[in-house]
Order: sequence, then structure tokens, then C-alpha cells
Amino acid sequence: MRKIIAGAALAALATACSANTGGTAASSSGGTSVPGKGSAAVGFIFVGPKDDYGYNQAAYQGSQAVAKAFPQLKVLTAENVPEDDNAARVMNSMIAKGAKIVFATSYGHLDAALKVAAEHPDVVVVQQGNLITGTTPRNAGTFFGTVYEPVYLAGIAAGKATKTGKLGYVYAFPISQTIDNIDAFELGAQSVNPSVRTFAVSTSSWCDPAKQAEAAANLLEQGVDVITQHQDCTATVVKATEAAGKMTVGYHADASSIAPKGWLTGSEWNWGPLYSDIVRTALDGGFTGSKYNGNFRVGYKTGDNPFVQSAYGPAVGAETRSLIEAAKEKLKTGSPFAGPVRDQEGKVRVPDGTIPDYETIEKIDYFVQGVVGSLPKS
Amino acid sequence: MLVVDILTGGVRGGTAIMFAALGETLAERAGVVNLGTEGCMLVGALGGYAVAAETGNPWLGLLAGALAGAALGLVHAVAVVWRRADQFATGLTLMFLGLGLTSLFGAAYVGKAAPGFDPVPLPLLGDIPIAGEILFRHDPVTYLTFVVAPLLWFTLNRTKAGLLVRAAGERADVLHVHGHSADLVRTAAVTAGAALAGLGGAQLSTAYAHAWFEGMTAGRGFIAVALVIFAAWRPLWVMAGSYLFGAALAVAPALQARGHALNQFALDALPFVITLVFLAVLGRRTLRAAPEELRRVFAR
Amino acid sequence: MTATLASPVESAAPRRTAARTAARLLGALAGALAIFCVLLLAKGADPVTALGDMVASVFTAESLEQIVIKATPLILAAMAVVVPARAGLTNVGGEGQVVIGAVAGAGVGLAVPGPAALPLTLLAGAVGGALWAGVAAALRLVVGVNEAVTTLLLNYVALDVMLYLIYEPWKDPHGSGQPASRPLDLAARLPLLSGTAIHMGIVVALVAAVAVWLVLRGTSFGFRVSVVGGNPEAARRAGLPVARLILLAMLLGGALAGLAGAVHLAGVEFKLRPGLTTNIGYIAFLAAWLARHRPLPTVGAALLLAAVTVAGDSLQLDSGLPAATVNILMGLVLLAVLGWSRRARR
Repeated sequence: MRKIIAGAALAALATACSANTGGTAASSSGGTSVPGKGSAAVGFIFVGPKDDYGYNQAAYQGSQAVAKAFPQLKVLTAENVPEDDNAARVMNSMIAKGAKIVFATSYGHLDAALKVAAEHPDVVVVQQGNLITGTTPRNAGTFFGTVYEPVYLAGIAAGKATKTGKLGYVYAFPISQTIDNIDAFELGAQSVNPSVRTFAVSTSSWCDPAKQAEAAANLLEQGVDVITQHQDCTATVVKATEAAGKMTVGYHADASSIAPKGWLTGSEWNWGPLYSDIVRTALDGGFTGSKYNGNFRVGYKTGDNPFVQSAYGPAVGAETRSLIEAAKEKLKTGSPFAGPVRDQEGKVRVPDGTIPDYETIEKIDYFVQGVVGSLPKS
Repeated sequence: MLVVDILTGGVRGGTAIMFAALGETLAERAGVVNLGTEGCMLVGALGGYAVAAETGNPWLGLLAGALAGAALGLVHAVAVVWRRADQFATGLTLMFLGLGLTSLFGAAYVGKAAPGFDPVPLPLLGDIPIAGEILFRHDPVTYLTFVVAPLLWFTLNRTKAGLLVRAAGERADVLHVHGHSADLVRTAAVTAGAALAGLGGAQLSTAYAHAWFEGMTAGRGFIAVALVIFAAWRPLWVMAGSYLFGAALAVAPALQARGHALNQFALDALPFVITLVFLAVLGRRTLRAAPEELRRVFAR
Repeated sequence: MTATLASPVESAAPRRTAARTAARLLGALAGALAIFCVLLLAKGADPVTALGDMVASVFTAESLEQIVIKATPLILAAMAVVVPARAGLTNVGGEGQVVIGAVAGAGVGLAVPGPAALPLTLLAGAVGGALWAGVAAALRLVVGVNEAVTTLLLNYVALDVMLYLIYEPWKDPHGSGQPASRPLDLAARLPLLSGTAIHMGIVVALVAAVAVWLVLRGTSFGFRVSVVGGNPEAARRAGLPVARLILLAMLLGGALAGLAGAVHLAGVEFKLRPGLTTNIGYIAFLAAWLARHRPLPTVGAALLLAAVTVAGDSLQLDSGLPAATVNILMGLVLLAVLGWSRRARR
């Protein structure tokens, strides 16, 4: 009997159903308005805390630059936003508070960002670092710098500085960004030191200091004498390396203050100008069809890379600096991945004389020759 | 050498777990389970790091970590011992309290520099081949466990205080007859145990990771609770078990640094699976070692 | 381990004692709120404004939708605590059973095409959760190990099982490189209530809650289970199949938690990914305790805790405090209820 009642109730409910497309069914409200135009507020969500000495702190500083550039805008920020449906919830809260421009700043926020964009056609949702595949909605986009370019330059400094010929790389997940960086670092080091090798260890977390400490300890044990990383929080690895009297190449932020002896150089973010330009474009009503309404990438070839080189440490001599300057000039027309590039098995992946474009580089899913480590099969 | 590296990593990573598990041993020997060990470690990790950063003295940080853990442990004791609240529910509540408190007060210390403990190889002992490398080239807080674990064993088995704790755990009624309050003894044991968990947290932030980060204990408090059962409530077994669990966590980075691919999650599950298998195989025998008052909780 | 049966005793107590109990609880709750305000003040936030904004933020259409969505798996997972508790069992393993439910749901939902996908996804979730809880039940019955310990351990194993799968074998080959499975097809997803963001999982959850209430209240199974929970020795002497009842209560609990995982997967997340559950199992455990393991009040408690989570966004957006700060409020309120809602001594 109960089953029958339940069945009847379900049948009744079925008539009140609509497909759960994860937000791709646009709601009726504001379908015709210009996304982002005249927004009173702008929202930023971060996957970690806004003072992590790393990725999220850099993004937070970018949001504060927007606050300064647009004093009339209310800037809403939310930290520790997980990479699941909670992110959509927080973005919706921001939209409810008047934000028609939202920045989802973590790689894994893309699904939620696209869902929010589909639900709110009048809101510009931009995601930092991932790639939209297929058609781009008229109110969404991704943006990023070509991080592997400054990382390639830092690799030169590492290749010149190492005495053991072993470099270490502590990274979070094997995603295209990290793979590109590890490859570029090794290629940069190889360009000045052909026999150098890079040992890569993943922690499977954007920030787990204890795992990072263990990874650094093991790399040092292997005789690595320059360590760099791709994590959101960076202090642990830098401190471990400095304590061991070895050298550090920074990432996300200038950490020379906690590694006064071993700091070589690094790469750090300057998001302010790019964030501000995206906000300006959206406020003016020109987002749809603009360069930001797609997968926007900017590097040495196309303009101002938001990822810039950090200051040099005392261990980097004049010779290395001039080598890096020369390489930087070359990147304006070339690429860290200018052929020939071989993978770990020695197979040529980028033929001699070819300079791959940014999109091709972001799809690299192999380690280059000289990287010690292996990727999960998928 | 791979095995040496893994064992060294086991000591490095097992120390924080050991502090917490020793503390939980003390509480459970008195008859109280503290599932909030995770929360106590968290407040200890933040307390330790923050005070080290503010005072410039990591030893003061360590003390603060212990006090912070003890404070949260006292909350558990008051609720469970004096108010007879359910210990599992209260323990989990404590975890959320710890998460919230450290999130609120810890934001200012993420990414902030603080002095910490660096490895100090012990003279002579550190030069012993293999064993020296594994055991005697760590930070001073790690060496502290070499003292604390035997000390806890001694206290529990050879002192009057230890007798009271064991009595509270085994035969609370007998304690009453002799004019002692089992409630007071349990409160003291839970609080002191939580102080040890706080120390473990502080070791994590000031000696192992040299950083404070929200949720950085990442389940180590729960590993510690599991470990106590695995070790059958004996401090010295806890010590060995901590290194075993620590080593399981150290396998993945050690192999990766040598270029081997590894799905580390299979390994991450290892400590828990080992404990479960251990319980399944030696269940009844292990549980016979459980303090009598606990058995009401653990094996009705 | 004392409280499960405390309420009937209380209701029999004189009215004056009941009044005193209520006053004590109110005092404790006021104390919890006061402590929270002091902590906010210590961080330089104005507690009146912060709490006012928090409460106000809950009563918008979007927030109410979000609360229902958040509460859906919480209700189911809380029922997974309620049923075993009736048999005197402490199921701390909701978190792991939710994860395994989602894993099993994804395994089936990604493999089965067509209209059968959704029901089979949910069914697989329930079966998965039941089996996972069954491990703990078996250890309890065969070896005599307490289920609170084993379910807790199994939580971590469950999480590692999921991470293992999405790190390599089940990883979406077209995904972004972060570990995640393929998304469920539309056919395997729970439909939305038209015009809202709320998915049909809430109906599943409410039906389950009412069913649990009816079963525990009005069936002989419910009666026998509570006899076992009240006094297993007496139950054994009365000839009840104690072991079978304990096993059934645990399996039913696990099935409900597994269903929670599958519903959360098919309703909101669509993919397995790290952090899929964000403490659903633990928060549900506390929700069940908040309601003293009574099925229908547990629904209210789950909604309340979901509201607290959603209100946490306001702390961050309006007051600039970390979102996790709400955990303090939640913890203090729970402590008040756990420790001060009844007399301490039996």
C-alpha cells in the first residue's frame, strides 16, 4: 500500500520536474541584458586563505587593486571556497549582493563558474587558469598568464646554480599547468646545463604543509640542491630547503625574506592590471565578444604577462643574469617549447623548428626528457 | 637507501601522531575516549605557531600548544565526565570547535614567519650507521618523544598517579571506596592527554612543516585514536605504531623522489586497514587489554 | 553512551524538574551565544551586526534553496545515525558510507545508459553504503569490536578508495587533470523542481525520514530493535534474534547514508571529486544527536545545521570573518545541547 502511495506521489512530482543540467538551462531573468554592465559590486572567490604566501594571496592582492582602481565598486571576497558546488553557492551569494562580475580564481572552480554563468546571463563569470572546451557562453571566459615562461627563465638560474645536477619540483596535481611548469623548468635548466635532471614529487593537495615537508626531505635526500614548487602555500618547502643550506626557486610570491641565503629567483603574480582591465571591459558592457570572452592567455609574445620574474638572490651572478635576459628576449618570438622537444621515452613531441602556440602548450600531458617522475595514466 | 629513507620519514611524520596517541592512551586508560583529539591537535598547532611567532621562542610556542590542547581537552572532560554527555558526539563537536577557532584566530598567522625547530643531529648517536640516521638526526621535539613515551609508561605502571588513572579506567567504584573521585582523576587524565595532543600539533607546525595552515592536521588526530587501539593501550606500543603509521605516509614521497609512479591513496589507507585487520584478527584479545570502564564503550 | 533512552525517563519526571531542565538548556544556549559574541568581539567584529547579517542572509529565496540542497544529504545521513542508535549502536561512519554510496552510485550511473540510470544509481548508493556499514556490523557481531571505532576507521578507508579511483582508474580522460570522474549523464541525474535549483533528492530524503519514523514507531521490527537498544540482555532472554536485529539496523543505517551520497552525487555534484562530502557524515551525526535521535526532529536539526553553514557565507561576505567561524557557533550550541539538556546523573 505504502509503495503505491509513494509511487503515485512520485508520479505527481514527475510533472513538476525539469532536467538537472547543472545550470545550463538559463533562467528567464535578465536574458537580454548586457552581462556585467553597470555592476555595483565585483566578487572574488579563492580556494585557500587570502594570506597563504602564494596563489590565493596574489589573487587577493589583485582584488584589492581592483578596489583601488574602482572606488565606486564594492569588492566582495571569499576565501577557502571548495572546488565543488559550494563554490556556486558562494558566487550566488555575491550575485545576490549586487555583483554582476565574478572572478572564480581556482583551477577547480570551473564547473561551478559555468553553472553560475548559465544561471545568470546578466553576470560576467571569469575563471582563472582553466580552459573552457566547446562553445563559450557569452558571459563567461577564462584567463591566465603563460606561467611557464618565467618558470623557464627561473630554470636557467637553477641550471646554472646546481652543483649536483639534480633539481627538485614539489607539485600539487598533475594538471596541464603543473606539467607545463615542470617541463619548462627542466628545459630552461637544460638550455644552460644539458645533463641536469628535475625530480618531481606530487602531494595531491594544493596545500598540505606536512606532505610538502616530507616531499622536500626526500628530494634533499636524493641529492637535489635546488628546489622549486607548484603549490598554493609555499613557505614549508622554502624553509625546509633553506634550513638544509640548499637553494630555492620561488613560485607565486617573493619568499626571499625566509630564504635569505638560498634564494635564487622565482616567479610571482601581478594580477592588478589584468583584473582591472577585465572589470573595466565588463562594466562598459563590452565583455561579450571581447578577448576575455574565451580562453584568454597572455605571455611575453602578446603583451604584459601577469606572471613576472621575482628579484634575484645573491647567488645569481652577472653571467646567469645576462643569460636569462637573452632568453627572455628570445621568448618574445619563440617559446620554452620550441622544437625539438622530446618526452621521457625520447620520442620527439615537438618537431625541430616548430614553435607551438599557447593552446598546444596547455595541452601537454607528458614529462620531457630529463624529468624524473611519472604521471598517472588516465 | 629507500628503506632507511622511509623509516626516517616514519619517525619524522610519526612524531606528531605519537604525541596525540600517547595523550589519547592516557585519557582512555582513565576510561574516556576523546574523538576530539583532531581538534586538540589543531589548536595546539596554531597556539604553538602563533606564540612562537609572537615571542620569537619556539619553546614557548610548544608550551602554548600544550596549553591550548589542554584547554580544549578540559571542555571535553567537563562535558563528558561532569555533565555525562556522550563522548563520541562531544568529541566530534570538539573537532568542529577546533576547526572554527583556529580558522578565526589563525588567519593572521598563515604565511607569517615564525622561528621553529630545525634538525639537530645528536653527537655520537647520530653517527651510528642506519639507526642513527633513522632516529637521531631530527629536531629536538622529536627527541622529546623518546622521553615522553617511556615516561608515560613509567607513570602509568609505577607511580601512584598512574595507579589512580588505571583505577579510574578499570574499577571506578574501588576508587570511590578509597575516598578518591574517579571524576577528578578522569578530568585530569583527559586534560593532560589533550595537552599532549596539543604538543603533537605544535610539533607539526613548528618542527615538521614550519608553517601554520588551516586544517593542517589532516586527520592525524583520528589516526592517533585508531593507533591507541592498535597498540592495545600501551605507551611503548604506541611509539612503535606511530613509526609504522608514519612510515606508511612516507612511502609515497620516497618512491616518487626516485621516479616511481604511485597511486598514493592506496598507501594512505594502509594505517586504517592495518588497524581494522588487526582488530578483526586479534579483536577479542586486544579488547581484553582495554580498560574495564572503556570496555563498556568499546565492547558492550 | 547513556543518553539514547534518557528522554522517556525525563518525560516521566515531575514537571518542576522538566522546567529546570529547560531553564538549564536555555542558560547553556545563551552562554554559547555569549561566548561566540565575545570571540567575534576579540576579532574586532561587531557581534550584533554580524549575527544580524547572518540571520538576514538566510531569509532570501536563494539561501532557502541552498539550505534545502545542503540539508538533503544531511537528513538522509542523519537517519543513518538514528536507526542504529535505536538498536544501541553508534554509527560514526556516516561520512564513509556517504562516500561509498557516491562511489557505488557513480560506478553504476556512469556505466548504465538510459532511463534506468537514475534508479540504479540511487539503488547502488544504498547497497554500497549498506555493505560498508555491514563491515562494521560484522566486526561487531563476530569479533566484538565496537562499531564506533570501526566505522570511524572505515571513513578514512572510504575516502582513500574514492581518491584512489578518481586519481587513476576512473579519472575523466577529458577532465582538467585534477582528480575527478566523468560527470553523470543527464539521465542519471535527479531532476530539479521546476523553476528552482532544488533537486528531487529532498523528496527522497523526506520520504525516507517519514518511513524511518513509521518503521521505528509502528512496526514490530522497530519495537524489537528498540528493545535490543534498551537492554540487549533482556532482549536475548526474551528470545529476540539480537545479532540479526543489530545487523539489520546497521545495514539499514548504511543504506540511508549511501543513499545520501548517491543523492548528493546525482543531484548536485555529478562527478566524484576530492572533498565531495565536505563533512556531511559528521555534521549529520551531530544533527541526529541534536534531535536526540528522534526521526522527525532530526529533519529539523539537519535543516538548522544546513542553515548555519549557509549563514557562514554571510560572516565572510558581510563581516570579513573566515567562513569556518560558524563551526564555533555550531560547536558551542551542540555542546550546550549535549551536556546541558538534561540532568547529568542517572
